[in-house]
Amino acid sequence: MSIKRLLTPALIGKGQMPTIFSSDQHQQKTVTPAQDWQKAERTEMNEVAAATLPDNSAPATDSPPVVIDPKPEKHAYINRASLESPYFPTWCPGCGNFGVWTALKNALVELQIPEQELVIVYGVGCSGNMADFNRVYGFHALHGRAISNAVAIKAANHRLKVIVVAGDGDTYGEGLNHFISAMRGNHDITLLVHDNQVYGLTTGQTAPTTDKGTKTKSTPFGSPEVPINPIGMALTADATFIARGFAGNIRHLTEMIKRAILHPGFSLVDMFQPCFTFNKVNTYHYFRERIYDLQQNEFEANHKVLAWEKTFDHEKLPIGIFYEDPYSVPFHASLSQLEEKPLTELSIAEVDMTEAIAPYV
Amino acid sequence: MSLHWKVAGRAGEGIDVTGMMFGKTCLRHGMNVFGYREYPSLIRGGHNTNQIHASFEPVTCQQKHIDLLVALNEESISLHLDEIDEKSVVLCEATQDGYDVSKYASTGAKFFDVPMTNISREETGHFLSQNVVSLAMSVWILGLDIEIFRQVVTDQFKEKGDKIVEMNLRALDHAYTYAKEKLPQIKPIAEKRPNTQIFLSGNNAVAIGAVAGGVQYFAAYPMTPASEILHTLASLQGKYPLVVKHVEDEISAMNQAIGAAYTGVRAMTSSATGGYALMVEATSLAAVMETPLVVAVGQRPGPATGLPTWTCQSDLQFILHAGHGEVPKVVLTPGSAQEHFELTRLAFYLAERYHLIVFVLSDKFSLESYMSMPQPQLKYENERYSFAQDPLPEDDSYRRFEITEEGYSPRSVPGQAHGLSITNSYEHDEFGYATEDAEMTKQMNEKRQRKLVSVKPELPPLELIGPEQAELTLVCWGSTRLVLEDVVRRMPEGVVNVIHFPCVWPFPTEGFFQYAQHAEKLICVEGNATGQLQQLIRQETGIQIHHHIHRYDGRPFYAEEIIKELEELRE
Repeated sequence: MSIKRLLTPALIGKGQMPTIFSSDQHQQKTVTPAQDWQKAERTEMNEVAAATLPDNSAPATDSPPVVIDPKPEKHAYINRASLESPYFPTWCPGCGNFGVWTALKNALVELQIPEQELVIVYGVGCSGNMADFNRVYGFHALHGRAISNAVAIKAANHRLKVIVVAGDGDTYGEGLNHFISAMRGNHDITLLVHDNQVYGLTTGQTAPTTDKGTKTKSTPFGSPEVPINPIGMALTADATFIARGFAGNIRHLTEMIKRAILHPGFSLVDMFQPCFTFNKVNTYHYFRERIYDLQQNEFEANHKVLAWEKTFDHEKLPIGIFYEDPYSVPFHASLSQLEEKPLTELSIAEVDMTEAIAPYV
Repeated sequence: MSLHWKVAGRAGEGIDVTGMMFGKTCLRHGMNVFGYREYPSLIRGGHNTNQIHASFEPVTCQQKHIDLLVALNEESISLHLDEIDEKSVVLCEATQDGYDVSKYASTGAKFFDVPMTNISREETGHFLSQNVVSLAMSVWILGLDIEIFRQVVTDQFKEKGDKIVEMNLRALDHAYTYAKEKLPQIKPIAEKRPNTQIFLSGNNAVAIGAVAGGVQYFAAYPMTPASEILHTLASLQGKYPLVVKHVEDEISAMNQAIGAAYTGVRAMTSSATGGYALMVEATSLAAVMETPLVVAVGQRPGPATGLPTWTCQSDLQFILHAGHGEVPKVVLTPGSAQEHFELTRLAFYLAERYHLIVFVLSDKFSLESYMSMPQPQLKYENERYSFAQDPLPEDDSYRRFEITEEGYSPRSVPGQAHGLSITNSYEHDEFGYATEDAEMTKQMNEKRQRKLVSVKPELPPLELIGPEQAELTLVCWGSTRLVLEDVVRRMPEGVVNVIHFPCVWPFPTEGFFQYAQHAEKLICVEGNATGQLQQLIRQETGIQIHHHIHRYDGRPFYAEEIIKELEELRE
């Protein structure tokens, strides 16, 4: 498959995705022509990705793996092979989504999460299309609503790790109300926002994060609104873990995602994620010239006002942890009815009606 | 022998509590009770009423004529002149409120100017116990048992402390002594029977039906007339394995319910139809994800904000068609409190068994009226259905969306080993991976539609109320049954019977044909302007019903008015 063809807008949707595999092919170990095709494409894509992502994508090994599972012998941990689905990404070559995808997989593998105890809820957009590329318990939501699904999944079974993979349009536009509420409630979910400052899947319209004046398909005379300040918004909504990463720095992003997943309570990782096809301004080069790591500049992520100041920095763009509340109590831990077990494990086999009917006698 | 009592006054005067206490007093005499509330969309001020109809005979709605009216202000008389006549007694405070009752003499009613506020002030230092005072007087006038009422008052206030109970009992005694000296008795109820019933609103019945059905996660945003479902369930947290979340909006309510259901717990949301409008998109999500879900919806007149605190049945076609794409669903339409309880409980079973979205569609009249119903069983058992076997095969061959004959496929839940799959808002293959394949798209749609065939034998059948043969056969759904039952009781035997739909979708085609072929004259009675059930019947059976009675002014039907129209039809 030629690179030229990969760049056609149709591919950004699902147009060229291999459709049905006859069901059993998912399990076949022998290589079928379809898998062969994928493999070829994969190599090709990796080359492209490698060319456009100069940063090395070696997994971070700084911190030792944290074991979450009390009975490791009973479970299969997530590993690189277990994450592999029969599909390979349809993203454009060089898309920032590849960097995010790699960092997410690194983090999941390094954290040693049992494969059945992870749920990833995906929004709708180029980022959400990752749903088909990971073999996990996946929930591919409606556009804008992934956070709502995710907070309930966590509240109903808090043994699960719940991650939301969504875009900036999804989170800061269509689903803004859910974003704010989830932070106020300190629901224990990890929100990974692919912030590419443009709408990719719908082929290049203005996003809530697009700079004012930017000409896009939907704003041919320039975008009339100032962009949203997601980190600032998260600070005012009392999010208990707020970080930013960059798809071009996979080692750093892996660390951010790991820290976010381990945080008890709501965690946001906003990710600069260049869109090669529709955003010609906020490129890898653009970010490389501007970003700096907060933690390498002796910034301590424990002061909201100082963090707040950082969010207004436009010349230099900070990445790293803006704020972390070490005393965070997640939503589910505040409910006495969930003290002993998750809701999914509480029995409804026999319901005694005495208390329910008492007020009506 | 039945009694019709009404209290009216400004909002904020405790009108509803007064009605509730009177209803319970009647209930504990062993009577059947119906309580109807009217109020504007305000917190304070505005005219509120609460009306109780009680009898040892079956009781399903209020009537226009009032035996005893407690008027807490002048408006409470002037707005209800057509409801009182020479048989009525009115308790009022004309002197205190500064008006002259003689101008209402033409009604023929007996007015008693009684010092309700003063007795309350004297005994408690506050006017608030005037409701207990007025009730104690009502108890005397109607010959009810004062001891039963004392107990109701004690139960009502015990959470506020002994002092409050004692104050109210003092006011009660004072008022009862006063009444014995100065007020007459009308229609005294000498009888008492053992009480086997409970007295609750349609909203309460939905909530405790959900509890019996094993609800575990409930997310909602308040909106009249369904907010009380949220209140009731919220208060039961801690007593049942239940999490209730008042969320940021209806969109989130529905999506949270779907998210919770996905983990395997029994989930539900509720709203008014206006709030449900925001849930339509996620209705479609539940359909494609094949997530079990129960949605209780309360109708009120629209369009838009409409009449927030009044009733109608104008959203049947909306609910039937809600959700983009072809959404298989079940629409249950309860009328009585007992139906609200039983059908909500059933909804949880149907949703889980068939991986369907099940609606409990009601309206303000049913949801906010108080009704007596037989006390439910003390224990309900809930089996779990349609989950994947555990453990699953280790070769990961499990297919979450396997194409099956019955339409639903056993589901794995997160946390279960070897059950990994994608639950997808996109059309998908049997594993859940997105697909645009034509054949798979067709097969998946057909699979989902087959659930409606599978579920059909388990749905509540049409109910025939009244004699098997009648001159006129009324057809109704939802709350209208309450009034039509009264019509059947009031009209000469053999004149009318009623076909009631407790479930409108999937449409009970065979059942309807069976009843319709024996009917001499069909008349559709609905709370809307466009004849929505009538349309549905024609769509599904080809039967054109030529007569109808519609009401769409926000008010419930009254048996008296329907009887009048039926008499005209018979001529």
